[in-house]
Amino acid sequence: MSILMANVPCAMGVMGATGAQWFRVTARHAVMAIAGLMVSAAVAAAPDPKAEPPVFVQEVADQLLTVLKQDEQVRNQDMARINEIVNEFIMPYVDFELTTRLAAGKYWRQATDEQKQELSQAFKNTLIRTYSGALTQVDNSTSMEILPFRGDAQAKDVVVRSNVVQSANTQPIGVDYRLRREPEGWRIYDINVENVWLIQNYRNQFAQQINRSGIDGLIAALNERNSQ
Amino acid sequence: MTSTLIKRVLTVASVTLLVGCAGTQQPPNPEDPWEGMNRGTYEFNDAVDRAVFKPVAELYAFVTPRPVRTCVRNMYLNIGEIWSMINSSLQQRFVDAINTTGRFFLNTTAGLGGCIDVASMQGQPRISNDFGVTLGVWGVPQGPYLVLPFLGASTVRDGVGTGVDFVGNQLDTIGAIPNVRLRNSLWGLEVVVRREALLTVSETVDRTALDPYSFIRDAYLQRRKAQVLGQEDAQELPDYEDYGDVEADERALGIEQEKD
Repeated sequence: MSILMANVPCAMGVMGATGAQWFRVTARHAVMAIAGLMVSAAVAAAPDPKAEPPVFVQEVADQLLTVLKQDEQVRNQDMARINEIVNEFIMPYVDFELTTRLAAGKYWRQATDEQKQELSQAFKNTLIRTYSGALTQVDNSTSMEILPFRGDAQAKDVVVRSNVVQSANTQPIGVDYRLRREPEGWRIYDINVENVWLIQNYRNQFAQQINRSGIDGLIAALNERNSQ
Repeated sequence: MTSTLIKRVLTVASVTLLVGCAGTQQPPNPEDPWEGMNRGTYEFNDAVDRAVFKPVAELYAFVTPRPVRTCVRNMYLNIGEIWSMINSSLQQRFVDAINTTGRFFLNTTAGLGGCIDVASMQGQPRISNDFGVTLGVWGVPQGPYLVLPFLGASTVRDGVGTGVDFVGNQLDTIGAIPNVRLRNSLWGLEVVVRREALLTVSETVDRTALDPYSFIRDAYLQRRKAQVLGQEDAQELPDYEDYGDVEADERALGIEQEKD
């Protein structure tokens, strides 16, 4: 949005200088074309997992917000479309297998390789729905500010903190990302919203379901929930 | 005829037995020893919410433009700042108390009675606080998890806190309004406003939780612990044991996996 806004004074200057109707129209088209180019350029610049963690998270968020804000279906709160965007623009930077493994805790070792894969896939869809739920309220005033990085960028496991302002005049929401350094760069594996860590919040639910109906039961329960 | 009946009774009985087994198999959660009772209250609250509070909140969201809702919510939150400030002081978090006081005066004046959260825009976000946190800071243990009728997630300590909050935060502010109709209308509206603010959260819980009861309980307990610890220690991270690493180590060492 900031990219689009930056063009407004420039466009107004052009219009004021000429006053001719036809020129105004052409100028507006030109501005729209330039804005369009700049937005697609912003989208094309993919986040770099090898960058410093706060820079990487900022890039992921900027790309995501740019896409969300210019999508017609998102504005109409089309959940299927938001899920698609999350899958395309967040999930590549999330190590959902690690998230699943940590949520499963000691039960991970009871799972066969096939079950591990199915469980990760099922939980991936739960993660997508979790992120999407937080993004239904995105509008043009939504912004994210990365807080000063207090961790050690050389460490293997770091936390990047941020404040998200969902819409104008509302309280910022504290959102923290936990990242792990992997061979291909940083990857997000846990997220904290207002002091609640996601993995921590699924550990009891996983254990409960596994105790009741085993790993297959957990996979089935996740898939059932995700199909509703 | 009779045999069918007997079969049915037996089926029901065996299902009950199985359910009973499933129930006892669960290792009891040390933080939630009253889970059976709590689940009952939770079901009751959920039914009341779906029948009354949620539809009313949705209607309110539907007929009121978002900026108006934000304004009204901010005004209620602004009244609550005084009580937050008192609690920050009781916890000897004086920087928080001063910031909250500053927020209250700025938002009440420049923010038109709290409607516009000028302070947040200037980089001073709200520091919510209550008496349950104060008790926690004073060293009172949280006690068992407790679902309160209508009010929802709490603990024994926070339940006591909520009682004190009601006196300190409600009776001394809106409760002090002599006009009974106005006072009750303001309280009624506050309930709607608070529920409306939670609509997206509750919808996400509905869409993602395997067991909404556990989900809400664990989120509540995590959040309250962080609030008692305060900002400085909020960095304390959960330590998840990575059994993928354990497995890899075992494989490397040639140890046979023990399935537990």
